[in-house]
Amino acid sequence: MWMTVIDGITMAALLFIIAVGLNLSFALLRVANLAHGALYLFGAYVGYSVMSYTESWLLAIVVGGLATALLALLLEFFLLRKVRGDNLRETLVTLSVAIILADVMIVIWGGSPMSIPYPDLLQGPLIMGDVIVPKLSLFILGFAIVIGTLLWMLLNKTKIGMIIRAGVDDYEMVAALGTNIRLVFTSMFVLAGFLAGIVGVVGGSHLIVSPEEDWRILTYALLIIILGGMGSFGGSVVAALIMGMIYSFGSLYVPEFQLFLMFTPVALVLIFKPKGLFGRGLE
Amino acid sequence: MNQISKWIIYTIVALFLLAVPFIMSEFFTTMMVRVLYFSLMAVAFAFLASQIGLVSLAIPAFLGLSGYTIAILETREIMFFPYSAMAAIVVVLFVSAVFGIFANRSKGIYFIMLTLILGQIIWAVARQWASVTNGVNGLIGISTPDAMQFNVFGANVGFYYVILFTFVLIVWAVLALTRSSFGMKLKGIRESESRMIMLGYRVSRLKWVAFVISSLVAGIAGVFFVYFVGVMHPSAIDLDSSAMVLIAGIFGGVYSIIGAVLGMSIVQTLEVVLNAYTQRYLIIIGIMFLLVVIYAPKGLMGLIYKNKYMKSLYDKWYKGRKDS
Amino acid sequence: MNKKFHYFLFTVPMVFVLAIATACAEDANDDDNNDGEAAEEEMSIGLVGPMTGGFADYGEKAHRGVELALDEVDNTIAGYEVNLVVEDSQADAEQLTTSLDSLHQRDEVDVIIGPSTGDEGEAAASWAQDHEDVLIMPGYSAAEDMTMRAASDNLIRAGWTGTQTIYHFGKFVHDELGHDRIAMVGQNYAYPWDQAAGFKRGFYENGGEEVHTIWHETDILDFSSIMNELQSISDDYDAVLLNSGGADTIAFWGAWEQYGMGEYYPQLLGGTNVADIPILEEVTDNFEGVYSSMHYSEDLDHEENMQFRENYADMHDEEADGIALQGYDTMRVIIDALETTGGDTSDVNALTDEIMAMEVDDSPRGSFYFDEYGQAVQDIYIKEVQMVDGELENQVIDTYEEVSQFGPYEGLEEEYMEQPNNSADFPADTAEEYFEELEEYFGQEYIDELEENDGWE
Repeated sequence: MWMTVIDGITMAALLFIIAVGLNLSFALLRVANLAHGALYLFGAYVGYSVMSYTESWLLAIVVGGLATALLALLLEFFLLRKVRGDNLRETLVTLSVAIILADVMIVIWGGSPMSIPYPDLLQGPLIMGDVIVPKLSLFILGFAIVIGTLLWMLLNKTKIGMIIRAGVDDYEMVAALGTNIRLVFTSMFVLAGFLAGIVGVVGGSHLIVSPEEDWRILTYALLIIILGGMGSFGGSVVAALIMGMIYSFGSLYVPEFQLFLMFTPVALVLIFKPKGLFGRGLE
Repeated sequence: MNQISKWIIYTIVALFLLAVPFIMSEFFTTMMVRVLYFSLMAVAFAFLASQIGLVSLAIPAFLGLSGYTIAILETREIMFFPYSAMAAIVVVLFVSAVFGIFANRSKGIYFIMLTLILGQIIWAVARQWASVTNGVNGLIGISTPDAMQFNVFGANVGFYYVILFTFVLIVWAVLALTRSSFGMKLKGIRESESRMIMLGYRVSRLKWVAFVISSLVAGIAGVFFVYFVGVMHPSAIDLDSSAMVLIAGIFGGVYSIIGAVLGMSIVQTLEVVLNAYTQRYLIIIGIMFLLVVIYAPKGLMGLIYKNKYMKSLYDKWYKGRKDS
Repeated sequence: MNKKFHYFLFTVPMVFVLAIATACAEDANDDDNNDGEAAEEEMSIGLVGPMTGGFADYGEKAHRGVELALDEVDNTIAGYEVNLVVEDSQADAEQLTTSLDSLHQRDEVDVIIGPSTGDEGEAAASWAQDHEDVLIMPGYSAAEDMTMRAASDNLIRAGWTGTQTIYHFGKFVHDELGHDRIAMVGQNYAYPWDQAAGFKRGFYENGGEEVHTIWHETDILDFSSIMNELQSISDDYDAVLLNSGGADTIAFWGAWEQYGMGEYYPQLLGGTNVADIPILEEVTDNFEGVYSSMHYSEDLDHEENMQFRENYADMHDEEADGIALQGYDTMRVIIDALETTGGDTSDVNALTDEIMAMEVDDSPRGSFYFDEYGQAVQDIYIKEVQMVDGELENQVIDTYEEVSQFGPYEGLEEEYMEQPNNSADFPADTAEEYFEELEEYFGQEYIDELEENDGWE
C-alpha cells in the first residue's frame, strides 16, 4: 500500500516535468504545441548521442536541452510567427512539425528502442525498511521540485515575469508601452523547448527512447495540463499527483481499465470545468 | 456556368464512377473502396467543421465503435449481417447521443481537446479491455456479407457499388441538409451563437443533432471498413487516425464537404503511391500539410473558389445562397 | 507575399503529386507489356512490414536481410532481374491489408515476404486464405496459428512460432537450472501467450510446479508496481521469466536495476526476443547470466554464420540478429526455389511444392526443412548471455535438434490443435490444473508415459 502511494508520487513527479514545458507554451503563447512530444524525444536522442561520445550525463542533459531549444527557436521564428494569432492554424503547424520530426528521427537514429545510461551515483534503490525507492526516482522528484520552484519564481518574482503576465492579459497594451513583447514570447517558447529537451534526457534515462514515445508523452502531458488547467503550475502539480495515483493504483487493481480511468476524469473536467481545476483559461 | 455544361459534367463523372470496375484496374477499384469509406469519415468531420465550426477529433472513434460492435458480435457468433450492422448503428447513435450532450458544453479549442479525449477513451477501452475486444491482437476474420458480394457482369465488384451508392446517398443527404433550414440555423450558430439564442432557437439541441448526424456518418463508414478489411484493430482509431482525418479536412478546406472528400482522396492516394517509392513518405505528407496550413489555409477548395464561376457554384452548394 | 506566390506554393506539391501518379501509371503499363511479351527480364517480389513507428525495426531489419540475400546473387534470379517492392504496414492490420492489396493488384507480385509482427501475421494468414494465387512467407511473425489452425497451402514460414522456440527451454529450466516455481512477467497479447504456453508445457511435463503469470499492457509507462509485486512474492519463487521483447524489455530492465531486483532474484530468464542484439547493446552489464532460447544465436561458429554476419555488417553497418537472419533465409529459400522452377513466379503451386520439399543445410542458423503445415523444423538453441571482451554476447550452451512447431507432440498434432487457443489463462498457472486439462486432450496414457519416463524422452 505504502509502496503504491510512493510509486504514485514519483510517477507524479515524472508527469509534472513532462507537462511543464507544454504548460509554459500554452499558458503564455496560447499554442497547443502538439510537437511537444517530438521535442521531448529529440532532446532524448541528442542526449543519447552525446552520452555515447562523452559519457557525461550532465553534458548530455545540457546539450540535449540546448539542441531542442534551438529547434524550438527555428519552429517559432520561421513557422509559428507566420500564423500567429490563429489558434487552430498554430496547432496544425505544430502537428505537421511533429509528424515530420518523428520520421526524421527514425532516419537519423533508427527504430531500435534505446535507453540512456545514467551515473552510478543514481543507480540502484534506496532501502528504508519495507520501502524501496529507486534513487533515480528520487532524483526526478527533486528535479521536478527545482524546476517548478524556478519557474514559479521566474513568473512571479522577476520583472520579466511581470511583463509576461501582463503580455498574456493584454498583448497590445504591453507592446504599445515599448516592450518588445514578441521577443519575450519567442524566448519563452525557446525556454519551453529547452525544458522539453532536458526532460527528454532525464525521462529517456528513466523510461526508454523509441519512436512513438513522442505521442505517448504528448498524450500524458495533455492530460496533465487539461486536468490542472492550462497555464496553472499549481494545477499541474495537483493534476500530476491525481494522475500518478490513478496510474499506480489502476495498474495494480484494474489493469484492464487503467487508461480509461486516466482519461475519464480529464473528460469530466473538460465538460464541467473546461478551464481545468485551477486554470484561468483562455477565450 | 450554364445548366447544360453542368449536367454534362455530372453525367461524365457519374458514368466514370459507375464504370470504374470495368475500365480501370482491379487495384484502382480497391483503392476507390478505401477512399470511399475514409471519405465518409471526412464528410462526418467536414459537416461539423463547416456547419457549426467545430473541429472534432472523435470521428475515428465512431468508426471504431461500429466496427468493433460488428467484429465482436460476428466473431463470437452472436449476430450476423444485417442485424449486427443495425446493432452497430444503434450503439453509435446511443454513444454519440451521450457524448453529444457533453460535447455541446464546450467550443473552440476546448471542444477539440474534449473530442480528442473522448476518442482516446474509446481507443483505450478497445486496446485494454482484452477480454472483450481482444486488445492489441485485434479481432480477425470478419467476412463480407453475401449481400455485398454480388457479381456485376461476372466481376465480383458488388462491394464497390454498395459503398458507392451509399456514399453518394449520404453526401447528397448531407448537402441537402446544409441547404435546409436546419443547416441555416447551424450556420447561424457558427456565426454567432449568442444571436441565435437571443432569436429563440434551442441552440444546444441543434448542436446535439448535428453531432449525432456526424457520428452516424462515421459509424456507417465503420460498417464498410470492417466488412472490407475483415480486421478490427485498435490502431484504426488511434491518435494517428484522428490526425489523418484532420489533415484530410484541412487539405480540402475546412468549410467544404466536397473539399474534405477531395482532401481524403489526396491523402490516401499519396500514402499508397509514395509508399511504393520510399519508406519515408510521412516526411513528404508532413511537409505538404505544413505548406497548406501556412500558405493556403483555406485548402484546395479555398483556391478553387477564388475563380469567379467556381465561387458562385461554391456559394450555391455550400453556403446555401442562390446565385450570387 | 502576393497571391500569385500563394498559388505557386500550392501548385508545387500538386504538380509533384500528379507527376508521381503519372509515373506510377506508366510503371503499371510497362508491367502489362512485359507480361504480354516476356521480353524484359524482370521479376517483382514484394516485401511488407512495419517501416515507420515503434515497430520499424522488425520491418527494416527483415528488409536488410532480404537485401543481403539478393546482393549475393547480384540481384538476379534465373536470369531475371529482381525488382523488390517494399510496402510499409505501419504495424497496423488495416494498413497491412492495403499493402498486401497494393502489392498483389498494383505491382502484380506473386511472392510476398512479410509481415513481421504477431497481429499483422494473423491478419496476413486470413488474407492468404482469400488469395490462393499469392505465396506469402512471413518475415518475423511468430503467431502459432498462422501455420496451425489457420494454415493455408500458400503460406510457408521459414521462421519460428512463439511456442516452438521455448518448449525445451521449460525442460531446461527445470532439469538443468533446477527451478520449480517461476514468476513470469509478460505483455498481454498473443505472442507472449504463445511463449508462456510453450514454456509451461515443457516446464510442467518435466516436473515444474508453478508458473505464476503477471500480465501487463504493452508499452506501459512504468514498471514500478510490477517490481513491487515481484519483490513481495520473492520468497515463493525461484526465478523471474521476462516474457516480452523490444522496448518493454529495455524498460523492464531499467526498472529491475533501479529497484535492485538482483538481490531478490539471482536468476532472470528471458523469452525468445529478450536477449536480442539491439537489447544487449542497451542494457547494463548485470544482464550477464540471462538464459533464453531461440532458433538462432549469433555465436554459432560454423562457416555460414560467420560469413553471414560479416557480409551483413559490411553491407549495413550494424550487427545481424534473428530478424535480419529471417529476412535473409526467407529470401534465399525463394531464390533457390525460383532457380529450380526457372524464375516463373506466377505458378505458385509449383513454387510451394518446391519449397516444401526443400532441405536447407547452409543457413546461418544451421539446417531446417518444412513440416506438412509449412512451418520450419529446426534446431533450438539454449543461450546464456556472457561477457566476452567487455561486450555482452549470447553463447549457446545446449542444442535441441529438429524441433517442429508441435515440439514434443509429434504424432499428436490433431489433438494439439483440438485445444483452445493459447491465452492469458490457458494453459493453467499450476502443474496440477495443467495435467487435468492435458488429460482431456491427450488422454491419461500420455500422462502415465510422462511419469514413467520422468519427463520427455
